[in-house]
Amino acid sequence: MSLSVSAASPTQTGPLRQEVSRDDLMMRSGLLLCGVLLTVFVLLPIAALLKKAVENRAGDFVGLVNFERFLATPALMQSIGNSLFVATTATILSTLAAFLFAYGLTRTCMPGKTIFTLISQIPLLAPSLLPAISLVYLFGNQGIAKGALLGASVYGPIGIIMGEVFWTFPHALIIITTALAISDGRLYEAAQALRAGPWRVFWTVTLPGARYGTISAMLVVFVLVITDFGVPKVVGGQYNVLATDIYKQVIGQQNFQMGAVVGLILLLPAVVAFVIDRIIQRRQTAMLSARAVPYMPAPHSMIDRLFLTICGVISAFILIVLGVALFASLAKLWPYDLTLSFRNYDFDRMDGGGWASYRNSLLMAGSTAVLGAAVIFTCAYLLEKTRGFAVVRNIIQFLALLPLAVPGLVLGLGYIFFFNNPANPLHFIYGTMAILVLCTIAHFYSVAHLTSITALKQIDSEFETVGASLRVPFYKTFLKVTLPVSLPALLDIAIYLFVNAMTTVSAVVFLYSPSTTLAAVAVLNMDDAGDVAPAAAMAMMIFATAAALRIGYYFASQLLLRRIQAWRLR
Amino acid sequence: MNEQPGDLTRRVVQDDQPYLKIRDVSKRFGSFAALDNVSLDIFRGEFVSFLGPSGCGKTTLLRAISGLDIQSSGTIEQDGRDISLLPVGKRDFGIVFQSYALFPNLTVRDNVAYGLASEGLPRAEITKRVMELLTLVGLPDQAPKYPIQLSGGQQQRVALARALALSPGLLLLDEPLSALDARVRARLRGEIRDLQGRLGITTIMVTHDQEEALTMSDRIVVMNSGRIEQVGTPSEIYGRPGTPFVADFVGRMNFLDGQILDDTRVDVRGATLTVAEAVRFDRGTPVTVCLRPEDVVVNGLDGQQTNRLDMQVGVMEFVGSHFSTVLHAQGTSLNVTADLSMNDVRSLGLVAGRSIPVHLPPDRLKVFIHPPRA
Repeated sequence: MSLSVSAASPTQTGPLRQEVSRDDLMMRSGLLLCGVLLTVFVLLPIAALLKKAVENRAGDFVGLVNFERFLATPALMQSIGNSLFVATTATILSTLAAFLFAYGLTRTCMPGKTIFTLISQIPLLAPSLLPAISLVYLFGNQGIAKGALLGASVYGPIGIIMGEVFWTFPHALIIITTALAISDGRLYEAAQALRAGPWRVFWTVTLPGARYGTISAMLVVFVLVITDFGVPKVVGGQYNVLATDIYKQVIGQQNFQMGAVVGLILLLPAVVAFVIDRIIQRRQTAMLSARAVPYMPAPHSMIDRLFLTICGVISAFILIVLGVALFASLAKLWPYDLTLSFRNYDFDRMDGGGWASYRNSLLMAGSTAVLGAAVIFTCAYLLEKTRGFAVVRNIIQFLALLPLAVPGLVLGLGYIFFFNNPANPLHFIYGTMAILVLCTIAHFYSVAHLTSITALKQIDSEFETVGASLRVPFYKTFLKVTLPVSLPALLDIAIYLFVNAMTTVSAVVFLYSPSTTLAAVAVLNMDDAGDVAPAAAMAMMIFATAAALRIGYYFASQLLLRRIQAWRLR
Repeated sequence: MNEQPGDLTRRVVQDDQPYLKIRDVSKRFGSFAALDNVSLDIFRGEFVSFLGPSGCGKTTLLRAISGLDIQSSGTIEQDGRDISLLPVGKRDFGIVFQSYALFPNLTVRDNVAYGLASEGLPRAEITKRVMELLTLVGLPDQAPKYPIQLSGGQQQRVALARALALSPGLLLLDEPLSALDARVRARLRGEIRDLQGRLGITTIMVTHDQEEALTMSDRIVVMNSGRIEQVGTPSEIYGRPGTPFVADFVGRMNFLDGQILDDTRVDVRGATLTVAEAVRFDRGTPVTVCLRPEDVVVNGLDGQQTNRLDMQVGVMEFVGSHFSTVLHAQGTSLNVTADLSMNDVRSLGLVAGRSIPVHLPPDRLKVFIHPPRA
């Protein structure tokens, strides 16, 4: 990019180049910095993983030898089959449940929609370890409902599938609810006017309208399940899946090369799903015209009652899983002494880092939320508003969406390979809190980025022009106008980052050090050590923190709207 | 549309040097030319409208002048300074967008003061200037409100005050009235024009609304497919359209196919019409004869022999201020759309199916050699 000013001579050929202003220069520098950050914290770690997969333990290039070894190991090959089976089954069940639930919420007049919506979001606030631990208490060897499995063991595919359905349900629900909610009421009126029966309407209007959303939900759930390792780690038993294999190869056997190979294989379905989803979303946008009228469901006593029952059963399942974890964490000695006590919350008596790990998690999640929201929103702003610079912008666009296709385990593994290399000038952050924060920001970058872009696109695109014509530098307009106007979105992003930083295990499990243990990792380690009740207690702590934050945010945002966002009200 | 604003509009004192000099400006997107070698002079204090259908290049030209999207080739000079390649912040203009782009989180006062504050002026002076500007646009008591609390017309005026805050040399209005409802729009047209006249600020307005352009401008630049079709005062544009496109786009127009008979006469679908303007085409040349519907005369035809036809009145469409109808010349295939005033309709007792004598004034007939539409 040449910054020299070309003179407007009449003899000049080719398109003219505008003089680069100070604003342009600053924005481009900022954008370049974003590009460098994304390269260092997203692209290079993944590249390091790719490199590691074709090296031997000594670090020499060996081509595809590691892959051959993988293919020759029946146990590892078995994991692929297991992963696919578990993921497919969980995807079908989770999407089906989510579709029915979403249909009840959007297309019927059943009562209690608010409470159902609240309950449905519970799994988002807990690590995937929590349902798994609950399942152990429910159906494990000493489970209270062990008989319900008719002699089958919860340890294995049954437990994994149940846990994953619980954990992925709200993810699928949000997508399908959105797809069902944005439907054109006029289509239904037209179908009725043409005397189509309810089934005909469902098959010809409802389903086609929700088709893309449902496929998108299935893709998301599939990737979540195949890359999650919390649930299989706790209730998987001897049933190996790819996600637990990576963990075993890296943490158990210190076989980084094989870990990298499994990581790459895990990357495959995620990337494929990502690409399919992008294509689908491009089509979905054209579905709804600006003239569409929202659909208003009409009361129908039988259908309303049916969906009340379905949503009630699903909600009960969620509440039972949460309730069992809560009760188990409070019971003195399950199942022999069920008197309540806070004994299990005395984390300092157990391995796993004690209360320090909870405090670490708060610090990590808080830093991730503040730093992440600031960096991600600023980058999105620069990406949207920088003029020219097309090549750099395209690259950054790609890098910003890349984390969506990279499972946490794979990213975490890449971070080890990249930052644990003594030759790396950033080696000093290895083992610190900083690397946990940076990795978590990178891990959840894409969703926050897309939220920022959406918020920015809703703002009048001429603000910067007006500012420039009044000779106000862009950063002033950014601080005085764009930021305040985007505050709700910015807070949404911060909350999203905080909750995910609290609950995530996958990326950070490779990166924590004895001084930076995290609450979610402590759940894992305590469960591993047989301290299942304290593990449940820590999981409850995470849940309570995330829930308190969400509820607090709700009330705070109401207050905020009245106080400093008064300009939104007429 | 019956008034001829040409005589009423203030004539701009023209300097020797144009204030804005646009030379050979083109804008290409791949092989598509959004602007095709546009050259134009705009003089100090002038109110000029860029008029044309969407995609004609009017907005592209405005964006080149403002530096938002610079031209692919060509030069632009403002007040003797070459601004062709300058970034937005180094040019000298105020701009009002169709959306107004008022900052929603700032009060009216802070919106207007936005540019002043960064100039480093003392607080008291800023307050004074803001009040001046708000008084200028007639909103002196709205300073503490937020934009959302104002009506569309008020928001528009705040945007105008903000654009004028730094006393720019050039005011750019990008479809400034199209987001407003008809009544407010009509009122604001006069207000903006009046304000512009008082300040004497050189102003360019982009619009697709011919009525807006005709009532507000000193000169109108009619554009089509990236080219300038005609530049002229509103009365010139309306009364003497230079091209069939202008004739069609501004006002309503009858396009009648015909053939040249001799220097002053044209055969139009079996009727022989005399034109005032001498036409120097060969006999038999196919031409288009243009006539505005309101120029058809049905009353006071005594002794009038030229272009007098017996025509049959078609279906009468009531438009409110007048009737619109199609007149058919008997014994020919000539149909002419005519606007008949309520007075004429009443005094002549016109109803559909009646035959009446009609006069098509020769000086109102305009002959073009090419067909009107491609």
